[in-house]
Amino acid sequence: MNSRLAWYLIAVCSVIATVLWLTGLGITAMDILVPASASEAGGTEETRTAPVATPLEQAEEIRLLALGDSLTKGTGDETGQGYVHRLAEGLKSRYGKPVSMLGNLAVNGMTATELSERLEQDEIVQNTVRQANLIVFSIGGNDLFLSARAKWNGRQLKAVSVDELTGDLEEAAGRFRSITSRLHALNPNATVVYMGLYNPFFDIDELRDASLKIQLWNKQAYGALHEFPLMRMAPTFDLFEDRIIERLSSDHFHPNGDGYEKIASRMLDAL
Amino acid sequence: MLRLAALIQNEAMKLWLKKRFLVIVLILLILIPVFTYAQHKMVKNNREHFADWRNQTLQQIADIENTLSSDRIPEEWKKGRRIAVQQLRYYLEHDINPSEPSGVQFTREFLGNAITLFIPMLVLAIGSDIVSGERTAGTIKMLLTRPVRRWKILLAKLLALTLYVSLTIAVTVILCYLISGFVFGYGGFGAPVLTGFRLQGGTVDAQAVHAIPQWRFLLMQAGLCWFASMIVAILGLMVSVLVRSTAASMVTMMAAIIAGSILSSMSSTWTSAKYLFSVNLKLTGYLDGSPPPIEGMTLPFSVAVLSVWGAASLAVSFRVFTKGDILN
Repeated sequence: MNSRLAWYLIAVCSVIATVLWLTGLGITAMDILVPASASEAGGTEETRTAPVATPLEQAEEIRLLALGDSLTKGTGDETGQGYVHRLAEGLKSRYGKPVSMLGNLAVNGMTATELSERLEQDEIVQNTVRQANLIVFSIGGNDLFLSARAKWNGRQLKAVSVDELTGDLEEAAGRFRSITSRLHALNPNATVVYMGLYNPFFDIDELRDASLKIQLWNKQAYGALHEFPLMRMAPTFDLFEDRIIERLSSDHFHPNGDGYEKIASRMLDAL
Repeated sequence: MLRLAALIQNEAMKLWLKKRFLVIVLILLILIPVFTYAQHKMVKNNREHFADWRNQTLQQIADIENTLSSDRIPEEWKKGRRIAVQQLRYYLEHDINPSEPSGVQFTREFLGNAITLFIPMLVLAIGSDIVSGERTAGTIKMLLTRPVRRWKILLAKLLALTLYVSLTIAVTVILCYLISGFVFGYGGFGAPVLTGFRLQGGTVDAQAVHAIPQWRFLLMQAGLCWFASMIVAILGLMVSVLVRSTAASMVTMMAAIIAGSILSSMSSTWTSAKYLFSVNLKLTGYLDGSPPPIEGMTLPFSVAVLSVWGAASLAVSFRVFTKGDILN
């Protein structure tokens, strides 16, 4: 009979299912109660060696990695692209070969100390650095401007003196040196471009002189980069001096889309 | 004993003839392809932008870290994200892809997301009128005038419901696997999944973390799903005994479940909410180590709370059903 057959089918299937799910519950209970016998949590230990280096023109594809602070993250860009994506587009059309992003690992607020620690200690980041053949980064802004930005947010910028603004330039420069040498140690074959700093407060009379300190930083940075033949610096200070309103976003610190576009084209020129 | 089997058969066939189960299968047949397509889009997008899942995961970590640096995000959310970062790093360190797309992986994700709302709804669709429906239709008098003890009738209803709960989960798992496997491939049974994350405040204690094959993880999830659904079914049974109208009993249960899912997403500071049953339904979250809705909740805790709710409502159902007057 039809209904009898249906019942048997339902009964058999559902009893099997019930037993199965009860087994699942049992396994869960075992898993929770019996402490894991520190079984080696899987994973094949494949060694990922750095791809053989060729200059960008000859490389089959460009593997781009971005590191650093909010300037690399693209904070302030209303389109969300930042200079990194614009640069990737530019490279794609210039070389006519694929540009693969290994990642934009920039984090807002990162300081030179934090980046150098990451490069020293974080194996995953190190592995990614080894895979890249083009690395772009920006750092130092947070080391130099942190106190000034806090005050700007509190609208008492006039109280900032130039000396205070530039913080521990010497110490930060030392960190920068360790970043560049670390990058070189990890991947001596990658082309590295550093984005030079600009003075976002150029239009404020009291802080106009900060530009001098920033040039001091840029000079130090250039000195560190100069040691390695594949490292470049893209200067940006002149892009913003008379165009603060046009090229900076509303936070008066980060570039806007237009500003990032200019930075990207500078970087493209440097390559 | 034989008598009981016949009663169960009777109840199961009544449920079958209502064709609700068929509706459930249809719903699944429509929804799973939709989710599969969405997932497929995401996988494709990731493939275009990332050469390797490691880069993708690293980018994911960087993105979370960027939200962490914002002062606008409440501290409680940050805690959850810090935990996510630590887990993703753990996956990376052990060179395990946290979400290698496959039919089994899709099924795992689907079950994990469906346990709080979707599957309970399906279960309620089948069973929430199991007693009240008889009152509405007037067949309850017929049923109770037979020479069978009342508790046996209710027990038969409960057991028939249990069978359908098992079937519902089985159908969900099988359809998920078959449909998504068509797109993502039918493999992935052996892929390692990490479980056993212990959360202490904002950090992950990785001591007990261990890798298990994905089929085992899936089986554990389905078991927990079954347990949660059974509790929902039992509560539904109680409401169905207590409330006369079918619509009312359905709405009551749904409201309770939806309220629970809203409460748990509010990361509430009202800690005694953790004794409500619907806040405890997301049992699968404990397996993959997502932070619980309220701090201090653990899998044994949630199972205990649900068990108490289940036992209490069973007691109420049987008491009322055997002792209550049947009026129309």
